Amino acid sequence: MSKKKTSAKVNTEMNFQENNENIDKKSNDQKNVPVLVITYFVVVLFIAMLANIIIFMVRDADTAIANSYNKRENLYAEKVIKGSIISSDGEILAETVVDSEGNESRYYPYANMFSHVVGYDSNGQSGLEMLSTYYLLTSNQNIVKQVYNALTDKKNLGNNVVTTIDFNLQQTAYNALGYNDGAVVVLEPSTGKMLVQVSKPDFDPNNIDALIGESEDSDSSYLLNRATQGLYPPGSTFKILTAMEYMREHNDYQKYSYTCQGEDIFSGVGIHCYSYKVHGNINLKDSLAYSCNTSFSNIGLSLDKAKYRQLCEDFLFNEDLPYDGYYSKSSFVINAKSEASSMPQTAIGQGDTLLTPLHNAMIMSTIANGGVLMKPYLIDRIETCDGNMVKKFKPDTYGKIISAGEAETMCELLTGVTEYGTASDYFYGTSYTVAGKTGTAEFNEAGDSHSWFVGFSNVDNPDIVVCVLVENASSTGASASYIARQIFDAYYANH
Amino acid sequence: MVRIITEVSKYLIIFFMVLYTIKCFTVLKPVKEKKKRRALNVQIFYVFMIHFLCYLTMYLHYKTVDIIIFYILQMIISILYMVSYHAIYKKSSRLITNNMSFLLLIGYVMLTRLDFDMAKKQFLFASIMLGITAFIPLFIVKCPKIKNWNVFYAIFGICLLITVFIPGIGVEIYGSYNWIQIGSFSMQPMEIVKIIFVFFLASSFEKSKGFADMIKISIVSGIFMLILVLEKDLGGAVIFFMVFVMMVYLATGKHSILIGGVVAGSLLVAVGYILFKDKFSHVTTRINAWIDPFAYIDGDGYQVSQSLFAIGSGGFDGTGLCQGLPTSIPVVSSDFIFAAICEELGVIFGLCLLLMYISCFIYFINISMKIRNTFYKNVAFGFTICFIFQVFLNVGGVTKFIPSTGVTLPLVSYGVSSVVSTLVIFAIIQGICVLENSDINKNNNIERSYNKNNVKEKNIGKSKYRDEFSGE
Repeated sequence: MSKKKTSAKVNTEMNFQENNENIDKKSNDQKNVPVLVITYFVVVLFIAMLANIIIFMVRDADTAIANSYNKRENLYAEKVIKGSIISSDGEILAETVVDSEGNESRYYPYANMFSHVVGYDSNGQSGLEMLSTYYLLTSNQNIVKQVYNALTDKKNLGNNVVTTIDFNLQQTAYNALGYNDGAVVVLEPSTGKMLVQVSKPDFDPNNIDALIGESEDSDSSYLLNRATQGLYPPGSTFKILTAMEYMREHNDYQKYSYTCQGEDIFSGVGIHCYSYKVHGNINLKDSLAYSCNTSFSNIGLSLDKAKYRQLCEDFLFNEDLPYDGYYSKSSFVINAKSEASSMPQTAIGQGDTLLTPLHNAMIMSTIANGGVLMKPYLIDRIETCDGNMVKKFKPDTYGKIISAGEAETMCELLTGVTEYGTASDYFYGTSYTVAGKTGTAEFNEAGDSHSWFVGFSNVDNPDIVVCVLVENASSTGASASYIARQIFDAYYANH
Repeated sequence: MVRIITEVSKYLIIFFMVLYTIKCFTVLKPVKEKKKRRALNVQIFYVFMIHFLCYLTMYLHYKTVDIIIFYILQMIISILYMVSYHAIYKKSSRLITNNMSFLLLIGYVMLTRLDFDMAKKQFLFASIMLGITAFIPLFIVKCPKIKNWNVFYAIFGICLLITVFIPGIGVEIYGSYNWIQIGSFSMQPMEIVKIIFVFFLASSFEKSKGFADMIKISIVSGIFMLILVLEKDLGGAVIFFMVFVMMVYLATGKHSILIGGVVAGSLLVAVGYILFKDKFSHVTTRINAWIDPFAYIDGDGYQVSQSLFAIGSGGFDGTGLCQGLPTSIPVVSSDFIFAAICEELGVIFGLCLLLMYISCFIYFINISMKIRNTFYKNVAFGFTICFIFQVFLNVGGVTKFIPSTGVTLPLVSYGVSSVVSTLVIFAIIQGICVLENSDINKNNNIERSYNKNNVKEKNIGKSKYRDEFSGE
């Protein structure tokens, strides 16, 4: 009881305070208002967080985990037999073969023809084999069958990936390129679908194990996908962007005229036209059509370097491309502080500018699609082993790069190239219209050059963009424009 | 056969988890004592079923006797703890002990799967702490003077926080300087200081007489947060800030404090970020990694990307224990354990776990609402905020809801300091709960008699004492 006495003593002193501290029910309720507010606040926060997880799982998880940095592939492979890669017109491009002892191996029926785009899946991965591993190793087979498989310790059959690659068109491009080294990319400008991706030299992915061992000690580059990773000087195809910048800076570009004398000196740099041909008095459309080097060097000197760089960067030079597979970044080095003497070469696509055939196709695709770049993609849809749709990939817009008006004007200018300009011989008598640009890109001091063609068909409502690069064409005599013509013809034979 | 057992266990674990989570909320309803007790017993049954199935799966996979021994030890400690705790503290809340034990057990399961040595260490420290914290409710009840020590809390807290700057003791881990190491023993002072900070605020409000005092409290709180920012412990700083704003809001009851606090906080962060962008490169790193982890997967975004791979690859039903690859996530056993849980036990399990944390939160809030003593009310509320925001920062960071701040998931993540401080927080809330439950009986007495002499008893607050008194 002594305890009670002491506390009673304290109590008399602190009576008033204690009353304050131990509030009655009514004021306690009032005091609790902030607690309630915060409780709701926290509950809402958590609901948002839960919803975020669920949205991720339902909407994003499938595509997010299909990433080469996700190392769970072998875990998946223990339970699923990898599915097939199928072309948009139904040809099997890669499949898993299981032998009598249950060993699995990948088989590529068309061997070299799809070597880079489909890629390989042994000793590392490349191409679609890399991009779509997780889709191929996921099984959406009939649930009853899956349970049965689980009980009998059998593997499920993985999903199939249907690509955007068109078998016939790829075959045409592959054959047209023939024995030349080079690359072909075909895009559908309105969607970004990639219909063709050829790179030569190629290899047989069925023999990849032997080839990889071999390629390590030789300097052959057949494993390099030139379509997306090969960096080339753009040559005259770059005049498209030079002309575009000129049009932006000069509203009166239609009055542009220049008298070509076959060669001239600009800022101390000697520039000559192809074969020193004298083009005479020409306007902007003619300059593009005849690919007049002196005229474009003249234009180049008049450009604002910072704005020129800005345009090129808008067109994704020095930037990441919106493409999922391996690719090389293109480079454009001119900036506000660059010497004037670097401009004549740069304006005609020589200089230090480098880009990939994929990127060149994307630039043309932007122009063909009213200034809007669609992200190029290779996977059209995922299907179960029974052919039921699992997921359809929709075209995705990268963004508006130039205005619709600029794109339309450029389309019109580029028709000159095929109607009466450098490509007119190759596009004579077609059932469809073509706009585009040829290029001859010198790559050494001796004047050896690559041949480019990049353009699109059906100018009023563009169907496909074709970009062809032939390495060292000056020695082999091949023409990129001629190869492009064959691809366009093959496309319209079936459409 | 092993595969079938593993698969069936996986679905049973999810099934029991869902039932457990539902019970977490249904027991909050006011029902008869007997019915409530039965519900709580059923909950314990679910816990042990999940625990058993997890260890069964892991034993079938690893096939080592160590796992069985470890399992049995956990069972013994859990049962011993729950039975003896409620025998001693009859007024304690069983819901709290249930959830606490379950969270610890989930932590043990995942740690056993990820790193057996860590699991053993965690188990050892947690068990010792369970023993020590068992005395905390007694302390709370016996020692009402703790509300007078505000100056002591401030000085002690700040001293403890700056220990990390003492050369030879403070160490850098993952780019932050918020660890101290003495011999082989390392800890995060922040974990302990956050408890002291809550006591500091609650006791200061008790003595505060006006605006001038509030300014003083704010300045001292600012010092706490500034030290954390200097330690580059952002998660810690955010938790302290939230606790500060919300406790001031509760103490003053002014809605403007909450809105003003949040706005001021955001402004402070924005201005600080712009001014010291170069010094806090790790912040830029984390923000980049948050906006698009996959774009920075080579560097800054690696951890969050791997975490999302784990969650996404596991799917709603998970891969089953030992069937996934959670070890590909850096620091998976502490900060990113939630991703490992989602991958192997399933996203459904993960979501249930979150709901369970919310039920814990609501229960804590209930306690702090019932209490009429302002000091204990503030303390209980402060800890509740501390606890739930830690969960939010952790899980939000792991699932890319907010930038990752490097805080642990209470009781589940590996981390001795974190487990110690969370157990202390649970024990203090439990203590306040004991106090309050005995108070309720007395309050009834008081309201009947209106006897001023009775008032003091509330403060001493022991039911035994009341019996003596009324017997007089």
